Amino acid sequence: MVAGNRPATLVPQEDFPTNRGGLCSKGWTATSLLDHPDRLLTPLVRTIPGDRTSPLRPATWAQALDRVVDGIEAAQVRYGRDAVGCFGGGGLTNEKAYLFGKFARVALRSSAIDYNGRFCMSSAATAANRAFGIDRGLPFPLSDIAGAEAVLLVGSNPADTMPPAMQYFDAGRANGAVHIVVDPRRTSTAAGATLHLAPIPGTDLALANGLLHIAIRDSLIDQPYIAARTTGFDAVRARISAYWPDRVERITGVPVAQLRETVRALAQARSAMILTARGAEQHRNGTDTAQAYINLALALGLQGKPASGYGTITGQGNGQGGREHGQKADQLPGYRRLDDPTARAHVAKVWGIEPDELPLPGRSAFEMLDRMGADGGVRALIVLASNIVVSAPDVNRIRARLAALDLLVVSDIFLSETAALADVVLPTAQWAEEEGTMTNLEGRVLHRKRALPPPAGVWDDMQFLTAVAQRLGRGKYFTSNPREVFDELRRASAGGIADYAGITYERIDAEKGVFWPCPTVDHPGTPRLFETDFPTPSGRAKFIPVDHRQPNEVPDVHFPYVLTTGRIAAQYQSGNQTRRVKSLSHTDPSVQLHTNLARTLGLENGEIVQLETRRGRATFRAAVDDSIRPDTLFVPFHWGGTSCANLLTDTALDPFSKMPAFKVCAVAATRVGGIDDDHLLAAPPAKPLHPPPGPAGSAPPIRRYIRRQANPHRKDVFMASQNRFLQGVYPFEGAGIDKLSLIHPDLVRLVPDGVVCQALYLRGGNTSDELVVVVLMRDGVPMRYFPIGAKSDIHVPLRVVEDLEGGSSIELFIGAPDGLTGHVIVDLGMVEV
Amino acid sequence: MTSTLERSLPEADIGDPRRKLIVIGNGMAGARTVEEILQRNGAEQFAITMFGDEPYGNYNRIMLSHVLSGEESDQDIYLNSIAWYEENHITLHVGVRATKIDRFAKLVYSNDGQITRYDQLIIATGSNSFMPSMEGLRMADGSLKPGVFAFRTIDDTRGMIEYAQHDNHNRAAVIGGGLLGLEAARGLQAYGLQVDVVHAGGHLMNAQVGPQAGEILRRSVEKLGIEVHVKARTTAIMGEEKVTGIWLLEHPQIECDMVVVAAGIRPSVELAVRSGFTVERAIVVDDQMRTVEDDDVYAVGECVQHRGEVYGLVAPLWEQAVVLADHITGADPLSAYHGSRTATKLKVAGVDVASMGLQGPERDTDEVLVFAEPKKGIFKSLVIRDEKLVGATILGDTSKVAFLMQAFDRGLPLPVERLEMMFNLGTPAAEVGAEELADDAQVCNCNGVSKLALVHAVEGGCKTVNAVMDKTRAGKGCGSCKTLVCQIVEWAAGGAVQEDPSANWYVPGVPLDKPALMDAIRLKELKSVSAVFAALAPAGAEDAKSKMGLASLLKMMWDSDYLDERDARYINDRVHANIQRDGTFSVVPQMRGGVTSVAQLRRIADVAEKHQVPLIKLTGGQRIDLLGIPKESLPQVWADLDMPSGYAYGKSFRTVKTCVGQTFCRFGTGDSTQLGMDLETRYQGLESPAKLKLAVSGCPRNCAESLVKDVGVVAIDGGRWEIYIGGAAGAHIRKGDLLATVHSQGEVMVLSGRFMQYYRENAKWLERTYSFVPRIGVDRIKAIIVDDSDGIATRLDAAISESVAAYRDPWLDGADPVTAGQFRTSLPLEVLPQVPVRSGG
Repeated sequence: MVAGNRPATLVPQEDFPTNRGGLCSKGWTATSLLDHPDRLLTPLVRTIPGDRTSPLRPATWAQALDRVVDGIEAAQVRYGRDAVGCFGGGGLTNEKAYLFGKFARVALRSSAIDYNGRFCMSSAATAANRAFGIDRGLPFPLSDIAGAEAVLLVGSNPADTMPPAMQYFDAGRANGAVHIVVDPRRTSTAAGATLHLAPIPGTDLALANGLLHIAIRDSLIDQPYIAARTTGFDAVRARISAYWPDRVERITGVPVAQLRETVRALAQARSAMILTARGAEQHRNGTDTAQAYINLALALGLQGKPASGYGTITGQGNGQGGREHGQKADQLPGYRRLDDPTARAHVAKVWGIEPDELPLPGRSAFEMLDRMGADGGVRALIVLASNIVVSAPDVNRIRARLAALDLLVVSDIFLSETAALADVVLPTAQWAEEEGTMTNLEGRVLHRKRALPPPAGVWDDMQFLTAVAQRLGRGKYFTSNPREVFDELRRASAGGIADYAGITYERIDAEKGVFWPCPTVDHPGTPRLFETDFPTPSGRAKFIPVDHRQPNEVPDVHFPYVLTTGRIAAQYQSGNQTRRVKSLSHTDPSVQLHTNLARTLGLENGEIVQLETRRGRATFRAAVDDSIRPDTLFVPFHWGGTSCANLLTDTALDPFSKMPAFKVCAVAATRVGGIDDDHLLAAPPAKPLHPPPGPAGSAPPIRRYIRRQANPHRKDVFMASQNRFLQGVYPFEGAGIDKLSLIHPDLVRLVPDGVVCQALYLRGGNTSDELVVVVLMRDGVPMRYFPIGAKSDIHVPLRVVEDLEGGSSIELFIGAPDGLTGHVIVDLGMVEV
Repeated sequence: MTSTLERSLPEADIGDPRRKLIVIGNGMAGARTVEEILQRNGAEQFAITMFGDEPYGNYNRIMLSHVLSGEESDQDIYLNSIAWYEENHITLHVGVRATKIDRFAKLVYSNDGQITRYDQLIIATGSNSFMPSMEGLRMADGSLKPGVFAFRTIDDTRGMIEYAQHDNHNRAAVIGGGLLGLEAARGLQAYGLQVDVVHAGGHLMNAQVGPQAGEILRRSVEKLGIEVHVKARTTAIMGEEKVTGIWLLEHPQIECDMVVVAAGIRPSVELAVRSGFTVERAIVVDDQMRTVEDDDVYAVGECVQHRGEVYGLVAPLWEQAVVLADHITGADPLSAYHGSRTATKLKVAGVDVASMGLQGPERDTDEVLVFAEPKKGIFKSLVIRDEKLVGATILGDTSKVAFLMQAFDRGLPLPVERLEMMFNLGTPAAEVGAEELADDAQVCNCNGVSKLALVHAVEGGCKTVNAVMDKTRAGKGCGSCKTLVCQIVEWAAGGAVQEDPSANWYVPGVPLDKPALMDAIRLKELKSVSAVFAALAPAGAEDAKSKMGLASLLKMMWDSDYLDERDARYINDRVHANIQRDGTFSVVPQMRGGVTSVAQLRRIADVAEKHQVPLIKLTGGQRIDLLGIPKESLPQVWADLDMPSGYAYGKSFRTVKTCVGQTFCRFGTGDSTQLGMDLETRYQGLESPAKLKLAVSGCPRNCAESLVKDVGVVAIDGGRWEIYIGGAAGAHIRKGDLLATVHSQGEVMVLSGRFMQYYRENAKWLERTYSFVPRIGVDRIKAIIVDDSDGIATRLDAAISESVAAYRDPWLDGADPVTAGQFRTSLPLEVLPQVPVRSGG
């Protein structure tokens, strides 16, 4: 049962309002995945149960389920309910995401569930919730973009990552709209824009604050709007006064003139949008960065006005819906909070359980993964629609943590890198083979109909979850019928923020999608939010002052460049699907870098380069051009193995959204091979550079503010410096007290480049019967004279110290009366920083 | 449920378990350090007390020159208001000076007699203005002589402004030609003072720039009317009660009414010296910002010396603050300050100045680039060492400063072409031309079509862009690559690309251009859209996109003989109203030439009231627009109005805008109002390929915007009229072309009618006159319309007269719907209550 039996074809639906029939190459080629020869068609289990080095073998569903349920029960008996974790994906339908959340809470009664969307839009979502009381990617239909006279697009490249959406940008540009793209790379989106700002990765927040500073200074803000529809502006205004343009230019690298032009374009347009995406959000201050752009949008009075306002552009198929219905650690369906008693009571009633039976909020995605197999962590993990050993940050560490699990269950359509590590692998249905709803970035709920049945022996995830629930004795709470699940989801979401109560499959079909919130069946849905008020307690949007922080890692001598990651047009997510499509697989894993940098590295276009960070190494083919900042390297994250970008990425988390800092870390680059050394790209996964930090279960390296026990002692303090000494006992023969000569060729220190040296002290002794003078020379010029008396010694602390820069030559000379002989003992202490 | 207990912070008192932190100094370094500490949850660890000399919160000192020049108000430069300290439970002693630190007993003595205990202490006393020694600087009581100012605090600034505004004060001398001095000079100029800058150094801003740049800077500054004296030492200030002038060594004396001393700053270290801390040029600190003597006493800001350096810029202070806060709170005990790279970028006295690192080369191997254009005040010098930028001075043109600053701060790899570092050599080619594109370059990302595939398609016989797109599917995805596809096809065909014949077709579904189509229609007497399809379309196929255009054309050609088929119209044309974004309609009653009457207004008001019209608005075409009418109410609204349609919809002759005209207007030279009404009366509602908007202005002042209308008429002297055609003022703006100048209103009526008929017959469907006129060429149109070069004038006049005669007010439909569902709601969800249609209206 493989390719060819049932060729499926795609027919574009040209009147569909979101994409008008447009699809990107991934969409057009998606049918080839349905009957792909690599497709999993039967469950797989390890030949030797519990031994993940033994080969996988085909099994029946009953056998596979036995292993799954035995593993769950064993883990829960031994370690408690929270020992079983669930990891979902933003590609799941609303029904599956909802059911997965319910499965964790009702069938497993575990708090441990989260999903890969945490790695996607969580920063913007958290910021929007804080500021607007609601998180919907775009508060307006996608097509409104065409009507905006000015658009500020921050860290987004829809021309490559979302081609069908690009038509609205193009339409706006054709109408003369001013588009400003903020991106360290001149992407195709940026190249077509009116203005391209190329800040240092990780400085988007400072940029936003700088723009707001200019808007305030030049009286371009909308005072009546601020007074009528927002709170908290004064605090922001005070904070913004520290972001004067020249300072922001130095932090971001964006010229003041461009900042001014940007603000003017936004403020003077009759309609203006500010859109952020992962480039701005995947940072350890991603939430605050999104907030900074929200502040700007609010101050300019954009939110809620026609074809205006702040929005975030999300990528995954069901990126929006996947985050609304309970597969997040802290959340119940309808975007309800898991720690809100009213929400718990409502959902518990719909589910037919007591509110107290619901577990409390669990750990966020990376925090959960990082504690796998450790005390208090998850011991058995069920993964749906996610390829975590490619997509999570610092995958060397994730791989080690997965190895510590007692049970790993992975459901996928192919044997992904993560599935290959599992105890039990389950085949699952694909997009065209199941019914369900998805919610796109506009908040439009779409109905995906089943076009053809899955291959024989392949279940969909809802059947699997229901079957496991049954075996766990919780079957009465579950159904695998999508329509019944959706109707239950509607009830569960009723009255919540993401209210789907009035949405039915029939309405979606008739109306080409329905925008939530839609509380009743006769409610028309809500294409545009905030026209009159905000769903916050005060009805107003909230300004929150935010400050620029340095990224967790800044370039230094050892890792001198900035690494940023992202997507390219031909690939999707971990590449598990798209790398298997022939017409898409022509792209090699590559790193983009600037011509000037390539020259510094002695690297030609197409050669193989190895990147190294504090966490790992990976190799890529060099793509050399001038469309990227010269200090920045860009790596797409679609590949596994030795070219996996996430071998390199930093795990520092945003304190609010728990988003890892995918978009910036410090990196070193070396040429390791020529154009034809393809094997370097195909080699097995790199070993960790350092052992995974800390013992099992150690906290992730978030910079946390620890209460200090006592004054740390100066001695305990790590210095990023090296001691250097010029010392020894040397004979001398005088040629005159004013005739200086080098004491000995050993007493020369050439300060290395990039290092600053300081002399700290000099000790000296003189065995002769007369006064001698030891001279500290820099580049042949005397710096200090140290007279040492007859048969005596000196110790001079050099408190007033100068910086001796890289390249300086430091030497010790001696002057002694003519003919005098003896020995000097010298010890020059220096520190190099 | 878990939740962390919210503990309100107790006031600093006995029993407070938190350590007591005292910060001496409330300037940019002290307050910033406290902010950083608070951000690290420092409020849980510390009860914070601050001492500030000045009676304010913390303000941005570097903005003082902007306050002086009036660019910023003094309210806008506060970084922390007094309220901020209260909100953060910080005890702030304003106007109180700490006088002594007893570091053994851990006590701070202050000049209000208080003694305060601390556990940890931060010294952030900043710096003071340096007052060079000179006679007559101070009065007997030690205060500055009236008219002498330092330029350091907000009070100094306010004092300067007040003094400078005094009527009797006309001339000022600024002592010091550094950046602060120049800023002060420029600021004072704003108050009408004649300003002299007296600088002891050899050239201006000698701390930041070299002699050559300093000289160029001097020229720029003198161009602004500021007199500069270099190598000039001030020895005394003249005047008994107040300033009257200054004495200079080896220079003539300068008479002036005020003196601003901006001769630099000195770290404020008296307190530290008196309290026994190691002070060299400033308070000596280690990499954690601790004093030499005491692990519990830190110092930060302009008052510290770190590794021999004393900083006077904001960036280093704030970097120090981060390290101090990391360390004192334990947030990052490993945090260390390694010194800062100093760079400044300012507008000094109206001249952009940026300076970073070295001013000039230090070693033989240093690479130096210098560009100077003194006339324009431009100077650029760069110092490069080992492929890294180690210094730069830029004057005048700051376009590359952002890049240089980054190269200096971050050690960016530098371009081989060093010139790129000094000038913008034009942006790199944004678009790669079709020729340079690599063969395997993917052109259409959606369908994975490479350039080569397109070329093959062309070689394989596809000679039009559409044919290539059909064959390869390029451009059929998201469509964003269409332009590039066109370029590649044109290039590949080497000029042999055939113009797509369909480009000239009037509508896509019938392969004929307009004249041929009209001939065929006349010949075969095709009077309905379906008849046209049956006779002329390939295989008789109907094409939805072609229906509207054909309907319009047939209406124009056959007038009353045209067989109307309702589905061949836009919604606006079907219901004779303009659909709005929410699905309701707008109704515009006729108001010829924008002239109305009491009776009309009253009736409109009554109707609007009766139907609760949500919005009544005057349109750009001088009509009254009733907005928000549900579709099913349209007939009733029309009936109640009992006025003809004002045609604010549809592809047709719309409105004529007029100005007041000679009857009332003092400037009016022709009766534009009457002509406008006549034009509208005659031609109203005529079907046309796209809408026609007209205007008549009574004089060349163009009040009715005639120059940007499809047809615009302007009265000029001598009773003459100018007729303009092809103007537009929408998304596309175009001034109309002069068609003719005529002597009578009658000629205007004839020529404009003739032009419109010609347009109706020859324009493509939806082609506005602003495209049509340039396409045909205005000379050609003049020849046909005015000179009758083709001999068709008579026919055109007759044709339009026929159309005028066939005109029927569409709002009569209201009483007699053409189709049963014409005015029924089309929203599927909820059935709206049906409004009964009154027969006869």
